[in-house]
Amino acid sequence: MFKAASRRRSATRQLLGESSITGPLMTLIVVFILCSVFVPNFLSLRSVSGIVNAATLTSVIAIGVGLLMISGEFDLSVGALVAVGGYLYAFNTMNGGSPVLAVLLALGVPAALGALNGLILIWTKIPSFIVTLGTRSIYRGALWVLSTGALVQTLEDLTIYGIFNGRLDLLNSLSPGANFRTSLVWLVGLVVVFNFVLTRTRYGNHVFAVGGNPGAAQAQGANVNRTKVLTFLIAGALAGFTGVILFSQYKSVRVTTGAGMELDAIAAAVVGGALLSGGSGSIWGTLIGGLLISTLRTGVVLLDLPFIPADNFEAVVGATIVGATLLNEWVRRRT
Amino acid sequence: MSDNGQETAVVRMENIVKRFGTVTALDGVNFTVNQQEVVALVGDNGAGKSTLIKILTGVYPPTEGHIYFEGRLVQIRSPREARALGIETVYQDLALVNLMSITRNFFLGRELVARVGPLHWLRLREMNEQTRASLRDIGIEVRSPTERVEKLSGGERQSIAIGRALHFGAKLLILDEPTSALSVAETQKVLTYTLNAKARGLSVIFITHNIHHVFLVADRYTIIRHGTLVGNYDKGELTHDDIADLITGKREA
Repeated sequence: MFKAASRRRSATRQLLGESSITGPLMTLIVVFILCSVFVPNFLSLRSVSGIVNAATLTSVIAIGVGLLMISGEFDLSVGALVAVGGYLYAFNTMNGGSPVLAVLLALGVPAALGALNGLILIWTKIPSFIVTLGTRSIYRGALWVLSTGALVQTLEDLTIYGIFNGRLDLLNSLSPGANFRTSLVWLVGLVVVFNFVLTRTRYGNHVFAVGGNPGAAQAQGANVNRTKVLTFLIAGALAGFTGVILFSQYKSVRVTTGAGMELDAIAAAVVGGALLSGGSGSIWGTLIGGLLISTLRTGVVLLDLPFIPADNFEAVVGATIVGATLLNEWVRRRT
Repeated sequence: MSDNGQETAVVRMENIVKRFGTVTALDGVNFTVNQQEVVALVGDNGAGKSTLIKILTGVYPPTEGHIYFEGRLVQIRSPREARALGIETVYQDLALVNLMSITRNFFLGRELVARVGPLHWLRLREMNEQTRASLRDIGIEVRSPTERVEKLSGGERQSIAIGRALHFGAKLLILDEPTSALSVAETQKVLTYTLNAKARGLSVIFITHNIHHVFLVADRYTIIRHGTLVGNYDKGELTHDDIADLITGKREA
């Protein structure tokens, strides 16, 4: 029996690439139960769908940011790339543009800019935190110039907007207040695909190795530079895709769109068990991190406590991030 | 080397000179490792041991000199080329990724994959089985191949790196200070694996400045000091004290 349990444990561990999601999952469940009990109007499909929608945006970006953190790098420019993707998608879908071209550009240009972050890191050997702190402003600045700072919005109701972030009527028919979006389907697809890529492919194996011990990775024949550039490219493409789903739902984009999302994404990855020093983390954990942050925000807003006004919910979220990280560390030492 | 011209050396480095700017790190060193022989490369810190090995493993090109591998003149331009020849190095710090499983470390850079069209995926079950079997072959029993390396002791980590080199068909195994951070019991284990490797037909270069550790396993000692060869000595030819004196230069060869 003991042996069977240990075999099962090792099978789970393999599924998750040797990274535990026990800590993040426990935190999410506890927070959700606490909110359900103490927060009025929390336990309804209406607020749950709201939580999921907000978590989707954070989590799509956080998949890329999480991969980068596992490989030992940061990307602070992804928030700006959300806006870049949003503008390219908006300009090319509106007024009868080609939807295919729009999506290709909205993913391709942020992907190229992401890869550029990686190349600058390799050429200059400046830490990625600093490189992307710079490109974060450069990319948004360039967008400001090219877009002339204009807010872009549309009243058109194109099929493509429905595909990327329309109403998910299958789920919404369950309850009148529910507002699940098709972006949820995209998120689930991305999580499954990238979990597979991270835990079941050569590239994924090298992402862990490059973040865990770059010297050993190089000595064993993993291409450290190629792995890093490819990971930055993926992070850029996912940021661009976030711009696509944002515009598909709200049908407006401005230069400041996505500002601060890079920090939410890092928080989601960390809460989900990614190590700041690299070499450990998971895609499922990152998704749980995104959900946890979103749950807390909604919970605090609905709670409307006198000493924690709704516009100060960031403090509660911040405290939870620190707490969750401590819990993850504690669980990690024990497994 | 035998007299009939038949090459018995796995590797023969001739007249190796390495200069870094105005500093001469190696000044005409000859170094040979024969088939199925454990050679201890000994010398004090900074004597030129690492430089010599880095030339052999393709990290540095030599300024002068030739390298023969299995009798053929070779130029080793990168660690990858060294590995393709069958030269596997177990570095002290660069051996394993601690946060990854034993299996994932074992196959790092040489993962077994299944392919369908442009897609591929890791054959994890097969890699786990091969890792366990291969380590068992050389006398290492792991609790689970999916266990993270950080949970293992220093000696277990060294042994896994050695097992990996054996598994991938090394002809020449280079152990860089494999025992310097280990307890006495663990050192014993690593020495046993070294002998196992030799029994399987490998040649081993054992780099160390601790002569006590190699006394039990080395067939021959090559001693270098200040970038020059002090001499080659067969097992039993020298006592501990002799070797120590030759390393420090208290006694000339």
